Amino acid sequence: MDDLIAATLHDAKNSLNTLLVWLDRAERGDDAAPLQQARQQVAVINGQLVELLALYRDGKGSLRLHIADQDLRDYFDDLKCEWPVVPDQPVIHWPEDFPVPAWAFDGYQVKLVLFDALRNALRHANRQVDIRLTFDATEKCLCLTVADDGPGFPEQEFAAEQGKAMDAAGSGLGLTFAQLIAEHHRTPDGRQGRLEMKNAPTGGALFSLRLP
Amino acid sequence: MNAPLRDRTGLLIDDQPEMRSSVRIQLSDIGLEKCDQARNIKEAVERLSQRQYDLIICDYNLGQGADGQQLLELLRRRNLLPHASVFLMITGETGYEQVSTAAEYAPDDYLLKPFTSELLRNRLLRILEKKQALQSLYQHLGEKGDSRKALAACDALLAGNSRYGLDILRHKGDLLMTLGRHDEALALYESVLQQRSTPWAEVGKARVLAADGNESAAKAHLQEALRAYPNYLAAYDSLAELLEKDEPDAAQEVVERSLAIAPSTQRHRRLGALALENKDYARAETAFRRAVEKDRTGFFKSHDDYAGLAHSYAEQGKTQEALAALKEMGNHFRASASLDARQAAVESLVHAKAGDADAAKAALARALKAGQGDELDTSTQLELAQACFASGQDDEAKNILRGVAEDYQENEKVLAAAQRVFAKAGRDDEGGIFLDAAKRSMVKLNNEAVALAKAGELDKAIAMLTEAADRLHNNCQVAINAALALLMYVHRNGMRIDYLSKAHDYIIQARYANPEHPRLPEVETFYRHVAPPGTILLEE
Repeated sequence: MDDLIAATLHDAKNSLNTLLVWLDRAERGDDAAPLQQARQQVAVINGQLVELLALYRDGKGSLRLHIADQDLRDYFDDLKCEWPVVPDQPVIHWPEDFPVPAWAFDGYQVKLVLFDALRNALRHANRQVDIRLTFDATEKCLCLTVADDGPGFPEQEFAAEQGKAMDAAGSGLGLTFAQLIAEHHRTPDGRQGRLEMKNAPTGGALFSLRLP
Repeated sequence: MNAPLRDRTGLLIDDQPEMRSSVRIQLSDIGLEKCDQARNIKEAVERLSQRQYDLIICDYNLGQGADGQQLLELLRRRNLLPHASVFLMITGETGYEQVSTAAEYAPDDYLLKPFTSELLRNRLLRILEKKQALQSLYQHLGEKGDSRKALAACDALLAGNSRYGLDILRHKGDLLMTLGRHDEALALYESVLQQRSTPWAEVGKARVLAADGNESAAKAHLQEALRAYPNYLAAYDSLAELLEKDEPDAAQEVVERSLAIAPSTQRHRRLGALALENKDYARAETAFRRAVEKDRTGFFKSHDDYAGLAHSYAEQGKTQEALAALKEMGNHFRASASLDARQAAVESLVHAKAGDADAAKAALARALKAGQGDELDTSTQLELAQACFASGQDDEAKNILRGVAEDYQENEKVLAAAQRVFAKAGRDDEGGIFLDAAKRSMVKLNNEAVALAKAGELDKAIAMLTEAADRLHNNCQVAINAALALLMYVHRNGMRIDYLSKAHDYIIQARYANPEHPRLPEVETFYRHVAPPGTILLEE
């Protein structure tokens, strides 16, 4: 945990530097792009701090999720609206088909997990990133999948430190957080959420959050 | 694209001027120009008493120990928030925990800071659209609503394949429970749970189990639900209520856990009451003190908080503190017979506890005098009975308790509270027999009156029932029977406008006592059948 804190603070410090760079550029010109980049950076830093806080609270035993019904169409409309538009990025295909109309989960924490995964996928993607929703009837769980068309996860990462590949700057925070949030999604009959990471047969990385 | 909000009226509630102005700018960005502002609960209540707003945007943090959730509850209880109005709560991360878990009085939606204007616009439009689509249902919900009509609206909307099917099902479950149609409610919850687990259906199922008398299964189900949904306040509330009767220790612990999630005046009050019962006086003191002190607006306190605080002090031998709390109680509320009687009754009990019998008797005399001629609220009556027992005025105590038991013949909660008064006086067994007799005498009265009516002795039946109904304003059963007897008379013997008018008033009295009483529709239909056009109309 201490290593994770140090690494995250290091990341956040770097992110603040990046933010300053973009703000400088924004000051000089009247181009909107640097401001959008700055906003993106703010979202990243905010996310890191919130995630760190969640891990801290988990350690204290006081992390409690707010599971509530989410209308999936509305939920993804909001995510799309909140996701900052940055030029020259791979195209994001937001889900358009909803296998079930609603699902109960913590909308806020799951948003952080998905945005992390999305940022990561965008960094590795060539042209596009897909977000897909599927319903697994046998396990009675909803799968939120972020798929990119990049090189996929390197083989050795599966063996040992899966985390690093997932992360913006490599602190491991994103994956640790995603894992935590997945596991905190439980049902009264004892089922639990989990992450699934694999390479697609057609190439590219698949990151799935499976929610019971 | 801002047109849908252009003609709406808004009220923005936030105690911080900077936040108000920044949200105000965002609102005007998205077309909502007509927007009033309020800085605190008092101003908000004033504004909302004067006029209706389409959109209410409220920050969770309102200063003065008050929050948006408390305001929302207050507005709903006082009927200041029409169902057509949108209530959007804005929160930071901490407030989000409390808003997102609010059980009974949830806002229409909540939005986490920081947010963009576009997101704000999307949310407001989305809620407006939903309100519009579900208007046929919403208009029948709430304190003055009509559960049967609301249920019919649910079915119509479900048949029309509304995209808000889930919200409708959730309301339908609540309505079926209110109307006592447990089997149908259970089937509804089971069918949702078969597809997926979700907190409201899990708790709904537990409530059905409890209502059908299967309390241990209900408790187990709620415990399991809480393991998966540790923030779902409705589950804590239901569980605490189930435990209250036989396991007050466990109930206290459950309320403690819910307080860790969302500290509210109401929960502190509940905790204080349980701690008093469990003889955990130090905890009772801090809980009631929190209830009294945290709410600096004064909107949420009740007589119970000060009375509870005084008892907590008295039980620990802190007589002076107890008396000071009672004095404070007098300063905080508008004068009323109930307030005076309650203050004096608790004072009498405090003195009795401290061994000062003379002071106890003097205070009791004041309490009884204050209560003469006025109808006192139930907690005051019970407190008064308690004080009578403590000063040896047993007959007076029993008179009061008989009145309460007859008035609340069908209300298990009030009857249990009356039983606790006996228990505290060390008369547990006597209480059981006494209350049972009071209850039975009411059943007997109703049965005899019905038998008389059937035998054609309507005048006698009317005399019996109206005497009881005029005395017992909270007894729905008696009011309904009185109205029925009067209507039967008119039906058989021809119009007597004074009887019709009295029947009308008893129906209103019955509605006030218990709007969901299963026999209400019967008497209402009979009234409309008997009352000719042009006479007193019974409103919906």
